[in-house]
Amino acid sequence: MTVSVTGVVQGVGFRPFVYRTATENDLAGRVKNTGDGRVEIVLDGLQADVDGFLSALRTDPPPLARVENVVVEASEPAGLDTFEIVDSTDSSGGSGSIPPDTAMCDACLEDLRDPESRFHDYWATACVDCGPRYTVIRELPYDRPTTSMDDFPMCADCREDYEEPSDRRYHAQTIACPGCGPTLSLLDGDGSARADGDDAIERAGDRLADGDLVAIKGIGGTHLACDATDPAAVEALRERTGRPEKPFAVMAPDLATVESFAAVSDDERAALRDTRRPILLLDGRRTDRPRWLDAVSPGLHTVGVMLPYSGLHHLLFDHVDGPLVMTSANMPGVPMATDRASILADLDGVIDAALVHDREIVMRCDDSVARYAGGNRRFVRRSRGWVPESLPSPAETDRDVLALGAEFDATVALTQDGDVVPSQYLGDVDNPETVEYLRETVSHLRNLLGTDPDVVASDLHPDFLTTREAQKYASEGDMAGPVQVQHHHAHAASLLAERERERGVVIAADGTGYGPDGSIWGGEVLDATLADFERVGGLSTFSLPGGTAAIEQPARSLASLLDDEARIDELLVDRGALATESEAATVRRQVQAGVNTPATTSAGRLLDAVSALLDVCTDRSYEGEPAMKLESAAVDGAVLDYEIPFGTRDGNRVVDTRQFVRDLDALAGDHSTGDVAATAQWALARGLADVAVGIAADRGVDAVGFTGGVAYNDAITRTIRERVEAAGLDFLGHDRVPPGDGGIAYGQVAVASVRD
Amino acid sequence: YAHGAGGDQMTDLVENLAVSRFADAEADVGLAALDDGSVQPIDDEHSVVVTTDSHVVSPLFFRGGDIGRLAVSGTVNDLAMMGATDPLALSSSLIIEAGTPKTTVEAVTESMQAACAEAGATITTGDTKVMGSDEIDTLAINTTGVAIVERGTHVPDAGLSVGDKLIVSGTVGDHGISLLSEREGFDFGGDLESDVQPVNDLVRAAMDAGDVTAMKDPTRGGLATVLNEMAEKADVGIDVDEQSIPVSGAVASAGEVLGIEPYDVASEGVAVMAVDSADADAVLAALREHPKGTDAAIVGDVVEDHTGQVVLDTGFGRRYLTPPEGEQLPRIC
Ligand SMILES: [Fe+3]
Ligand SMILES: [Mg+2]
Ligand SMILES: [Zn+2]
Ligand SMILES: [Zn+2]
Repeated sequence: MTVSVTGVVQGVGFRPFVYRTATENDLAGRVKNTGDGRVEIVLDGLQADVDGFLSALRTDPPPLARVENVVVEASEPAGLDTFEIVDSTDSSGGSGSIPPDTAMCDACLEDLRDPESRFHDYWATACVDCGPRYTVIRELPYDRPTTSMDDFPMCADCREDYEEPSDRRYHAQTIACPGCGPTLSLLDGDGSARADGDDAIERAGDRLADGDLVAIKGIGGTHLACDATDPAAVEALRERTGRPEKPFAVMAPDLATVESFAAVSDDERAALRDTRRPILLLDGRRTDRPRWLDAVSPGLHTVGVMLPYSGLHHLLFDHVDGPLVMTSANMPGVPMATDRASILADLDGVIDAALVHDREIVMRCDDSVARYAGGNRRFVRRSRGWVPESLPSPAETDRDVLALGAEFDATVALTQDGDVVPSQYLGDVDNPETVEYLRETVSHLRNLLGTDPDVVASDLHPDFLTTREAQKYASEGDMAGPVQVQHHHAHAASLLAERERERGVVIAADGTGYGPDGSIWGGEVLDATLADFERVGGLSTFSLPGGTAAIEQPARSLASLLDDEARIDELLVDRGALATESEAATVRRQVQAGVNTPATTSAGRLLDAVSALLDVCTDRSYEGEPAMKLESAAVDGAVLDYEIPFGTRDGNRVVDTRQFVRDLDALAGDHSTGDVAATAQWALARGLADVAVGIAADRGVDAVGFTGGVAYNDAITRTIRERVEAAGLDFLGHDRVPPGDGGIAYGQVAVASVRD
Repeated sequence: YAHGAGGDQMTDLVENLAVSRFADAEADVGLAALDDGSVQPIDDEHSVVVTTDSHVVSPLFFRGGDIGRLAVSGTVNDLAMMGATDPLALSSSLIIEAGTPKTTVEAVTESMQAACAEAGATITTGDTKVMGSDEIDTLAINTTGVAIVERGTHVPDAGLSVGDKLIVSGTVGDHGISLLSEREGFDFGGDLESDVQPVNDLVRAAMDAGDVTAMKDPTRGGLATVLNEMAEKADVGIDVDEQSIPVSGAVASAGEVLGIEPYDVASEGVAVMAVDSADADAVLAALREHPKGTDAAIVGDVVEDHTGQVVLDTGFGRRYLTPPEGEQLPRIC
């Protein structure tokens, strides 16, 4: 009997698992890795035992493995009486997939807690089922010398486990123990050493408890940590990093602690515990909400939460009681620091101490962030735990694509024989350090995947640095292109590709995307295929007086939408959103004269303007702030009776944004902020859905989708979904690809794969 | 165009076409260098510096100046930016719309005369064309400037090298913000005015004080454009500290309201200089002593990294400073 298994089956402890399963089922035979990424098994024994073996293979594979296909062929008995693991036929393994980093597994955690174990209290223990992968691998084949564990030669005990087939550390390239593995130290902010090893963790815990800000170098990156329940520490973190309002993620020691400050659904509970350990945006409790939550997540009803994933985190919580703020250790515009020197340099004046270790982080990988919106998981950031897993091939093609994504919240994506591998989160590609990080990531992924792109794709925005980088890739390498993909077409294509649909009417709603007409799009209804799209409706055009300034101060867009001198003065000047009446007059004049006043159809900007109208947020200090705070203001509001104003543009149906804002202003006179905010979200969602459903019906398209950054909004997503399903159409939402700009690269790949 | 930033694609097109036709191998600085002017050797010891510019502006008379002052200053300054601070002769060609009041023409020529006196320059030849109404809007002026310099003492755009300091001789954006405000009817109170002025005397003071390796005036596209051009031409990187860029209070607050960065719009009386770091303090002191240079400041460094590009340190992170091209479309989400 010969069994061939394909999928993610190498480098994940698959052969020891086969060994254990076979011997448990009284089978003899052998198992080996093949050069093309499969695992091949020969079995001798009774049919009933073989059946037991095969069912375990399918139902119970190692946590990091992904079994895609099992082919069983009858063959002559080999006459073996033991089961053995045979060396690989070819160790090149180039076509095998590299697994992502995962959280410490339960068995390793047990070892870490077991006073008898030689791994007791050791933070960096790992086995084939867990630990770092993507962030420590330098090149293929995946072997200890090709990882940053190369600096830590195995001790005799580790060597023994490594070579023992029945051990779960058999061929675990990241195996390490206190005798041979990486070590920790605690430094002061100035770099002077304070403590080492277990002591370092304990002292770091003490410092955190004292209200200090501590950088913690972890697995694929570094966190800036402080006691989440200490508002003074959180305030210091805000001040020193220049983030006055931005919500910080917290790490809680266990689920019970999470449930003491946030509401957790069954889906969310499973996602929190998942070995990939994302940050999940949860509903903060509204009854007995702890006061500290307001400092961590100001003005928002949600809070980002994750559970410990490294041994380091587990041990740290032995010395700290409550949840910790754990935010990426980077200053604005620079990728997160990953080594001792840059932690001390980049965070000079920010941190009081740093808990660091001496294992190199080869590739940084920020925490993943997800939210359940409209009942489904939406990635805000698809990064640690998922990267470099591939996503479905968007189209039948032999063309390999490199896509550079948008500019903010960027990821890149590469294809390998059609499968698409999106990169980790890169950040905002508007500075030399992040451009460098982008280029490193591209070459690292190219290496690991062994792929040689034929064509490069980018956004259509002429000023995006990623657009310019794409031109460089095209002229330096032998890549065709750049294929420039309109931003919202890329959003729509990412949704169609993920959901394996050829065509759909797609609502693409976000903050900013360059339109082919030179205006800023962002509230679009598109009739889209992968290759092409038609703009068939959306929002009526309004102005952004001052361009970028209008994005930072939504009161400006509001002034142009209201276009009513007296109301502008009352609403904005009296409230201090615009400094003086003459400033208000200037902004009005700016719109009339068309001076530095780009035209837009952005849904994000419209929500921002409503947020300013209701005095929820008039100045934005981080991306998405006004719209996020509007969502929080709306969460307990009731939708009022309201008739959505429609108009037409170029023969297409659009929501009349000016009338909409004036109506809301009138409603705000008699109703609560929560009710008007809820009504605004409902009307925007319902208006776009009405347009989309109408088009789908007219054109005989059976699916309506929703993508773009606005799709993180739970209420808006629900309203659109209900309207679409009520019309008997399929609703398409994201599950595996971020609806926001982190999904753009995947959409660009989809378009470039099929466009001639 | 959007806000006096220029970036006119037609201009680029014509420049490219001309460059391919008139490349001059004999010149120290030829047309292909796209510098502020050309430098041609006339004998072993001397070179002639020539520059020419056509000026249109709306309104013709604005706070702080008029088209006549702009034409003379523009040409004198282009010579100065080549290191030629002593103009030998200027030409002036006026193209006038039929029916333009005589008083208008008179006022413009008077202003040219005054600007020439200030710069120590003389208009030695000229021409006047009258065109039908509809064929031209009131008045345009072409001026050409000629100067002789000692051979090898000219200052090219591309002369900067790693380690040099970048100095700006005065506040930036005054002309662009003031003119835009006036033209479009924005009222920012009385403090805004164009900085248009000849700066050849100021440049002379700087060059006497130390080694000025490269120079440009931030006219079309402002400081951002000029720094990018310098970085690209010299194949070096430039780091700029945003906080140290001199900006007048009036320009800063008007720019904030309009959403326009002062470093993206024109100055007409300012020089951007790269200076050998050993001489930077001396040059800065010399500039500040001069009445036209009291706001001069060191704004950045020439570096090895990110060649051809300019990085702005905002005090809260670093980002590329890109030249404004046409309308600045927001990129942030
Ligand atoms: Fe987007
Ligand atoms: Mg020059
Ligand atoms: Zn493990
Ligand atoms: Zn060991």
